[in-house]
Amino acid sequence: MIQTRFRSLQMRLAVRLAIPYIIAMAIGVGFLVYQAYDTAGTLNDRDLNLRAIDIARYVSPDPDDKPLLNLPAKLAAAYQSSADMFAVRDARGQIIAASPPSFGTLVAAWPPATDDASYFRLKNFGSESEDYYGLSVGLESAAGPLSISVAQAAGANALVSALLREFVFDVAWVIPLLVLATLVIGVLAIRSGLRPIRDVSEMAAAIGPNTTSVRLPVDNLPSEVTPLVSAVNRALDRLEQGFALQRKFTANAAHELRTPLAIITGALDVMEGNGELAKLKSDVSRMNRLVDQLLRVARLDGVAMDVSNEVDLNEIAANTVAAMAPWAVAQERAIIFDGLDRQVLVTGNGHAIEDALRNLIENAILHSPPQTEVTVRVSPERSINVVDAGPGISPGDRELIFERFWRGKAVASGGAGLGLSIVREIMNAHQGSISVEANPNGGAVFTLHFPRAAGLESSTQSI
Amino acid sequence: MRLLVVEDEVRIAEILRKSLGKAGFAVDSLASCGDAQAALGVCTYDAMILDLGLPDGDGLALLGRLRSGGDQTPILVLTPRDAIEDRVNGLDAGADDYLVKPFAMTELIARTKALLRRPGGALGTTLKAGNVNFDTIGRDVTIGSVPLLLPRRESAILEHLMRRLGRVVPKLVLEEKLYGIDDELESNAIPVHIHHLRRKFADAGAAAEIHTVRGLGYLLTETKA
Repeated sequence: MIQTRFRSLQMRLAVRLAIPYIIAMAIGVGFLVYQAYDTAGTLNDRDLNLRAIDIARYVSPDPDDKPLLNLPAKLAAAYQSSADMFAVRDARGQIIAASPPSFGTLVAAWPPATDDASYFRLKNFGSESEDYYGLSVGLESAAGPLSISVAQAAGANALVSALLREFVFDVAWVIPLLVLATLVIGVLAIRSGLRPIRDVSEMAAAIGPNTTSVRLPVDNLPSEVTPLVSAVNRALDRLEQGFALQRKFTANAAHELRTPLAIITGALDVMEGNGELAKLKSDVSRMNRLVDQLLRVARLDGVAMDVSNEVDLNEIAANTVAAMAPWAVAQERAIIFDGLDRQVLVTGNGHAIEDALRNLIENAILHSPPQTEVTVRVSPERSINVVDAGPGISPGDRELIFERFWRGKAVASGGAGLGLSIVREIMNAHQGSISVEANPNGGAVFTLHFPRAAGLESSTQSI
Repeated sequence: MRLLVVEDEVRIAEILRKSLGKAGFAVDSLASCGDAQAALGVCTYDAMILDLGLPDGDGLALLGRLRSGGDQTPILVLTPRDAIEDRVNGLDAGADDYLVKPFAMTELIARTKALLRRPGGALGTTLKAGNVNFDTIGRDVTIGSVPLLLPRRESAILEHLMRRLGRVVPKLVLEEKLYGIDDELESNAIPVHIHHLRRKFADAGAAAEIHTVRGLGYLLTETKA
């Protein structure tokens, strides 16, 4: 399942979109963070520079003409914190002032600073064992040239962290969201773009032997897929031709078989003989029935039945029963017509309905014991029942019996297994149905049910 | 009794000729519409058996031409089973009866005789079912050689059953026939008459039976040997 999901075009496109999106997002965010750090660093450097200049401004010569640092109280207080340090040396390298003094001791060993600021880092320095970042620069003051070193604890880089925090929380979090939104939009766009293909796939999935005339629409499809669908349609054309050929073959074969069969039937009728001849006659009549049914099947397959006539089920049933009664009597079964004294109108094909009913009656008579009754009942709810007293149909077989060439255990009846499939096809063509139930008194009840007639106000009308 | 068989399938024509010959008919067999029309121009036939699928044209067309030309020869049409609409067309075009191919020869002979028994038909006078004979002119019924005396209504019912031997006669049709004789018909009149007929048949050893098709009507068959 997972395999097929990842094989889907939609999933592939989504994955292929997502990977570059995420990489681009990572690069973009990384670049922005780097930029922020860089900017913060530059700002920091300038800040240190300004501090150095600031300190230089407060150096003035004392009465002995020695440089003396005189920080305003506020600034001096600021430098009391361990996070900030400074050291001022005169031209000869003598420490004039330092905070804390240990920094001065350290700086005293350094060469005098030049006009170009030099940056330094200190690890684990001072009472707090902190990392420091600072610069040394040579500056002019009222008391002559000075070497000033200023340092700041790395952790105390408030500006940088503030900038970064602001950037990460105010700006950067939007980026993954944007990427996510873009992805979702992309996936939705792919989905809707692929919808026509999905629709066509569903149509294609519904194509079966009985719907070979269906073709897939190409109107709404992306042009990349159109050639594939057109090719499928052409393949369907060829399949349909194959099917048509097959049906035609069946029809022709059955048709061609009929004349020799008629000859054999006639010749047997003329012959006089013993019991063997009677058996032969029944064999031939079975074959006649099979050929007859094959032809009916071929006709059902081949031509669309005209089911638009208004027909009376009561009349059709009466005629069919009348037509079959002599045969039933010859088989020593009674046939009963339980009709109505009014019409039961449906739209359909009278001959086809008669065919369907004849098949059911034939089956009922062949499957019930001699001296029993077969009842054909017409109900006002547009249905015809055929009730027999045979062995009935076991519940497990009730769907199978309508398959072509299905034959029950009672193969002795000599049927080809086509009759009920013909009935079902006729009923399908009428948008009706056939069902089978158990007869409470033993045997089976087959029911042909017809839909309400279109265009008729009432399907049952008094005559 | 002379029949014209128009059938192009040689073997079927041969079998028709043979079996109809055995049943006592003189048979002319032709294989095309043209020949048939020519033959009808020079001879008179008591009935014609016409196959619908002929090499030089549709049998239905021939039928139409004959009827529009005033030819009243009783015609039995043979039609293939799958051409189901043909039989309707055939009857519309003036056929007197039809048989669906393939058919049992006994059925063909029975139907042919039924055609000949129609009013004006060549067999008009005597109806036959098994050993039951019905003279439609004298209205005498014999079973074997023994005369059977029947009341008028029973004889009318029997006549209709015998005219439609082997086929269902709707009860409604019988009732209509009896209305002419007796305007005050009891609702169970027909079943009562049928009951009497059955008893008389059984007493006289008739080789024919009246079957009831409940809900529809009655059916006379010859008893199987």
